[in-house]
Amino acid sequence: MAPGYWIIALLAVPIVGALVCLVKLRPRQVLAVTVAVSAIGVAIAVRLGAMVLSGKPVTAVDGTFVVDAFSGFHLIVLALVFLICSLFAAVYFGDDDDAHPFSHGAARRFGVLWLGSFAAMVLVLISNNLGIMWVGMEATTLLTAFLISFYRDRLSLEAMWKYLLICSVGIAFAFIGTIFTAAAVQGSGEGSADALLWTRLAAPGLHLNPTLMTFAFIFVLVGYGTKVGLAPLHSWLPDAHSQAPAPVSAMFSGFLLNTALYCIMRFVPPARNALGGFADGLLVFFGVLSILVAAGFIVFQRDAKRFLAYSSVEHLGIITLGYGLGPLGTFAALFHTLGHSLSKTLAFCAVGRLGQRFGTHDMDTLSGALRHDRLWGLALVGSILSLIGAAPFAIFMSEYQLLRAAAGAQRWVVLAVFLAAVSIVFVAALRHLIDMAFGDPKIAVSQRRARTASYAVAVPSLAVLLFLGLWLPPWLIEAIERAAAVVGAPV
Amino acid sequence: MPGLLATIHVVGLLTCFALLGTSRIGACIRFLSLQGVLFSLVPLLTQDDGLTMRVFALAAANVALKGMIFPAVLLHLRARAGFQREVEPYIGFVASILFGIAALAVSLGLARELHPALSHAPFAMLEAAIFLISIGLFLIVSRRNALIQVIGYLVIENGIFVFGAITVVETPLLVELGILLDAFVAVFVMGIAIFHISREFGMADSDRLNTLRG
Repeated sequence: MAPGYWIIALLAVPIVGALVCLVKLRPRQVLAVTVAVSAIGVAIAVRLGAMVLSGKPVTAVDGTFVVDAFSGFHLIVLALVFLICSLFAAVYFGDDDDAHPFSHGAARRFGVLWLGSFAAMVLVLISNNLGIMWVGMEATTLLTAFLISFYRDRLSLEAMWKYLLICSVGIAFAFIGTIFTAAAVQGSGEGSADALLWTRLAAPGLHLNPTLMTFAFIFVLVGYGTKVGLAPLHSWLPDAHSQAPAPVSAMFSGFLLNTALYCIMRFVPPARNALGGFADGLLVFFGVLSILVAAGFIVFQRDAKRFLAYSSVEHLGIITLGYGLGPLGTFAALFHTLGHSLSKTLAFCAVGRLGQRFGTHDMDTLSGALRHDRLWGLALVGSILSLIGAAPFAIFMSEYQLLRAAAGAQRWVVLAVFLAAVSIVFVAALRHLIDMAFGDPKIAVSQRRARTASYAVAVPSLAVLLFLGLWLPPWLIEAIERAAAVVGAPV
Repeated sequence: MPGLLATIHVVGLLTCFALLGTSRIGACIRFLSLQGVLFSLVPLLTQDDGLTMRVFALAAANVALKGMIFPAVLLHLRARAGFQREVEPYIGFVASILFGIAALAVSLGLARELHPALSHAPFAMLEAAIFLISIGLFLIVSRRNALIQVIGYLVIENGIFVFGAITVVETPLLVELGILLDAFVAVFVMGIAIFHISREFGMADSDRLNTLRG
């Protein structure tokens, strides 16, 4: 099969899956379709990733779709997150109750929106044209809105409306930035037909109008940054994450936010060409601000899902900061992306499952979780230890590399603020974790055997996180280095 | 056709002030559709190298969408949700008009800053685009009624449409269609959202949507 067909296949499989879900399937069959589609997605993404991470970019449809090392890396993480979340959805929705029924209609709605948003995210990652990338990003907003209000109660509708309005306006701003970018190419007298192709915009020799590129980057950063959840544009994020069903929250934090950050990063190489260090300065500023703001909120959280949502603001801030700190920082950012996506997905699965057992996400009531549910309690402990950067998990390694990058760039203030904020989060989150996992049980919960699918979600994820913290295989280092070279600042 | 462009500019700005000063939602929807149709004509008047089929098709699609489909959807929603007026905006109507005047002055200043870099774009339309975007944002944050917030979003869309039409000489048709489709779907999605919210809450005032905090 020609390499380009793999790209088409990756886009087509979730679309076909979504259409299949429209047919009258039973709820269990819908869940099986989502798992099957995600598994096929992982297989294709890994195949595609292996091609681009060791060689040249792959193109399809006359260069409309291009996958290079940077998008290949993101595609693999996306597919993995979707597979874990789909498996977990089978566990989560398999135990529906009267208050939250998973009826035929609800199942169909879930299948279509779930796989539709998978396809939209794939479209974002494979588009060479920044306009089509924008269309994909807007599509993710519209499709995922109804996943937040899946149970249609008051709070989830409120969260959905905030998400819809704030992110739509944010994405509209990103579009203004995209128009500015096209104008910056044309204003310099270069040809206009392919003004929006990032393969062209990233070319070092291209002259861009600096005034217009400045406006472009600011609008793009603020616009897509709203969806990333960068402070102070993050106000929708904790509401949406706390109200959505757990598999949806896991997918949001696990990859949707990264998709928006991916969009920003496609504008960084042209912005660097035209404006020098301006773009990196803004990335560092928003990254540090997000880490600080999130640290403040994490201390006072009482709801486990809101706590995890603020932790996502923190980690997306860390990744953004890494991208602004040169090649080593970019490497750390990408490694952190992998570690964070896996840890956060697992953490939301654990909190979601425990929440289902306890009937609440209140951290006081979740007390003694480890005693009630060995598997998910252990998953909670492992994933949160990983998230706060405890050794020897993967995130410890990526944060250590980020510190090295900051020291190497002699950004001492950034380094100090980062260390202080991460320490606050460490202490606060550890306190939350100890209360939840090891505290005295507040309510009686019946013991239940975990399903096989639960083990399939929790055990491999934990094992990978631990493994990556202990040993980073040479092929993975090389793959991340190649991906980092696409968007990393020159030495 | 500079005369026609000037007319669009003036009437378009007036629709913004009308939106700022009106409490009746039906009237707001009609002002929005007039504004949408007027600004849909901009690409026809600003193309230097003649009217191609593509420009014409784009304008026609826009007129149909913003002049007919959006107003029909919004009026239908208003009837279903049963609201007539914006009763208590966060910022009163007189203060809103004053904001409009200030925004106009700022838009003029910003357009003057930007114009040297975008010399081929008509100055009046550049200013109108910035003004529309600022008014749309203001409507979203200053009004309680969810339907007016959607109207605000569509005013921003109009501003972006004008901005795109005057600054980018040539974008691929696929991208333009995708953007129109997104606006179309966005209105439907927001419409369905308002429908659910009004059914659950009894009305679609977004100040009822304030339980989630911190």
